[in-house]
Amino acid sequence: MRRKLLLFCFLTLSVLRVSVGQMPHDAIYMGKNTACIAIMGEQSSWTKYWENSLKRENLNIGTLTVRSVMPMVAVGITKKLNVLVGVPYVKTEASAGNLLGQTGFQDLALWVKYKLIPAKTGFSLHAIGGVSTPITNYVPDFLPLSIGMGSRTATARILANYKTKMGLYATASTSYIARANVNVDRDAYFSSGQLHNTNEVVVPNAMDAAVRIGWLEKKWQAELNYESFNCLSGDYIRRNDMPYPTNKMSMSMAGAYVKFQPKNIGFNARISKVLNGQNVGQSTIYSLGLLYQLNNIIE
Amino acid sequence: MKKLYIYFGLILFTALTLVSCDNQIEEPEVLAYSPPSIDALGGTWKTYVLSSASEVTVPEPTASTSNEYKAELASTKSKAGSLSASEKESVKYWGAGAVYRWNEIARELAAKYNLPPASNAEGKYPVPDAANPLADPKFPFANPPYTSRALSYLSVAQYDALVSAWHYKFKYNRKSASQNDPNISSLLPVTNLPSYPSEEAVVASASYTILLAMFPGEGPYLEQKLAEAQKVGFLAGKNVESDVKAGVDLGKAVAAKVMARAKTDGMSASNNQSVTAGMIENAKKMGVKNPWISQETPLRPPMLPNFGSVATWNFDKATLVKIRPALPYLENTTEFEKDIDELKSIQKNQTREQARIANYWADGPSTYTPPGHWHRFAANSGFEAKYSEIRMARTLALVGTALMDAGVACWDTKYYYYTPRPQQFGLKTSVGLPNFPSYTSGHSTFSAAGATVLSYIFPEKAEQFNKYAQEASNSRVYGLIHYRIDCEMGLKHGKVIGDYAVARGKADGSQL
Repeated sequence: MRRKLLLFCFLTLSVLRVSVGQMPHDAIYMGKNTACIAIMGEQSSWTKYWENSLKRENLNIGTLTVRSVMPMVAVGITKKLNVLVGVPYVKTEASAGNLLGQTGFQDLALWVKYKLIPAKTGFSLHAIGGVSTPITNYVPDFLPLSIGMGSRTATARILANYKTKMGLYATASTSYIARANVNVDRDAYFSSGQLHNTNEVVVPNAMDAAVRIGWLEKKWQAELNYESFNCLSGDYIRRNDMPYPTNKMSMSMAGAYVKFQPKNIGFNARISKVLNGQNVGQSTIYSLGLLYQLNNIIE
Repeated sequence: MKKLYIYFGLILFTALTLVSCDNQIEEPEVLAYSPPSIDALGGTWKTYVLSSASEVTVPEPTASTSNEYKAELASTKSKAGSLSASEKESVKYWGAGAVYRWNEIARELAAKYNLPPASNAEGKYPVPDAANPLADPKFPFANPPYTSRALSYLSVAQYDALVSAWHYKFKYNRKSASQNDPNISSLLPVTNLPSYPSEEAVVASASYTILLAMFPGEGPYLEQKLAEAQKVGFLAGKNVESDVKAGVDLGKAVAAKVMARAKTDGMSASNNQSVTAGMIENAKKMGVKNPWISQETPLRPPMLPNFGSVATWNFDKATLVKIRPALPYLENTTEFEKDIDELKSIQKNQTREQARIANYWADGPSTYTPPGHWHRFAANSGFEAKYSEIRMARTLALVGTALMDAGVACWDTKYYYYTPRPQQFGLKTSVGLPNFPSYTSGHSTFSAAGATVLSYIFPEKAEQFNKYAQEASNSRVYGLIHYRIDCEMGLKHGKVIGDYAVARGKADGSQL
């Protein structure tokens, strides 16, 4: 067991020669002894947000922009089992007002993907597990300027996929996301109608769900998707208050994704927009990734 | 392959366990104690608003040999023996101390109401309306001056009511129910403190009256707390019903007298925005080139510009002017440039420790504000020292009046000089920018005043309190919203203000 874990670490940390076409939310796998390294750049910004359910703007924030760069590695342990690791460097900025933007490495995430019911075409079923943990001691409750919420998380996801011989596919997935309590710098905070005389803050657990339809062939992938995210508990932003990690955040989002990888080198791009939400910003998200595939990483 | 399945499962299981998804938080339990001293001479201590401990009359109780009293005792006995789970829970909660719990409730209400009004479609900020407290924006906006005042009146009312209660307790000397009937087992520690009038009931009704006036939208919540708190001594087997009734009446009457002072202390004119034009003019005459201007969009009227005119507790208006800090230097001087440079350098390279200190002491919107923070230190210190109710009330009254005096004196200073915030010279903030002039720092003034009084009451903790005050003061530089000089002068000012409360404490007859 330990040796195997060490091997995981070795494979994921020492990036020998690697490729990524795959994500923790798709049915794509790296072959055995292959890897993909990727560098993903993302920009997410909003001008309107939902204060509880009231959609508003804030002239003392203007547009809130979150930019990140994430190096990522995906490794095919076997053709049925893949591991992904990534950690983003995040920078936040408000276009108006005087709140100081924050920067830093955020949370290291590790994902394991396993084919429960394999199929080249037709129906396949996948179990996906992920954990994440902050790797720097960033301030988690200076929202919306914080680079993250500082919570350790564990995600259990089940994903079903149907793919035709022509390469058309439909994917549906749902996840349970357990999020650990966080410790903040202050020794009291007001949440859920109560003053909590402690520095420990509950970050609510959440569930997500997604459906994707697209087309996948050797070099190309194109997809439309719809995702939803819902905290299972939490409180609501009060009138003219700032958001807090305790909030019951929820949103639905529509997006499009393309990937082009003619040989070892490839690109992917994504655009998504939050359609509706509560206690979140109405973000528009763009991301661009550079991919590099490596074969036969263990000789 | 099977092995991999197992590994995968194990990893996921371990991960989920590590994350411990119970989503509960635990706050330390605060339980009843038996005070080492019942402060039997508390009825002779100097009051704030009452002219004497006997200004409000408490009728003589029935004798413990009377049939009425025996009937009351039987009622206490029967009740104490048949408490529901929720009644037991209530006794446990309030057993931590009546003054302690009501102070905690007040801090919670301050945090709840500490939200600045949102601007409306016309770009104006509606003023909270006491007659319509739950409309948007809610009344009050419990900002630092408001909270310093609300907590000071609460503490003064509790203290004056308890001094009066102690006077009558020892005058009439009615023993507690469980002492008069050994078959009554009290759920709370029993002392030799006479039980008429009930101290829990006195504090409950005095606190209710003040808090309802300060947070008029909280009627139903406060009524429920009052109903629970006043009968704790009865449920616990300490009080008979007439102890409770006399306590409720006394607390209410004393609080009404304290509220009469509150109504005429000048608070109703504290948000008089028409005074600012003259203030700005005056500041310009003194050489302030860029007077303070709101950094919010739309421009928000400054917070309570006339709060400096509200009545103080421990010194008079002439003293307020006399102790007002001088403005050591203006913009465009070498000293000023040095202060600005320090902020620029922190903005560039703020350390995590500086951010932690800035965040810990920020006490901004949705918090109980710096006065609340210092009330918390005071209440917790009194609790750890196992103070009697009256000594706890004295502690909070001394600290509370010093904090309100600090608020008034600091606001007087701020609007007298009307100096610009660092944000008017391009700096950002990691804690949020308060909407009023810079010099002097409110946090520094509040904290030095609080630390000075607490160091007098708890000399063994003086070093800690002074360290806190220094850190709270530094936090405003680390958060980039005050120049170093604002904080240094605020600390000095706060110390002088605290000393007036200490002088009062030394002369209040408590010998403490």
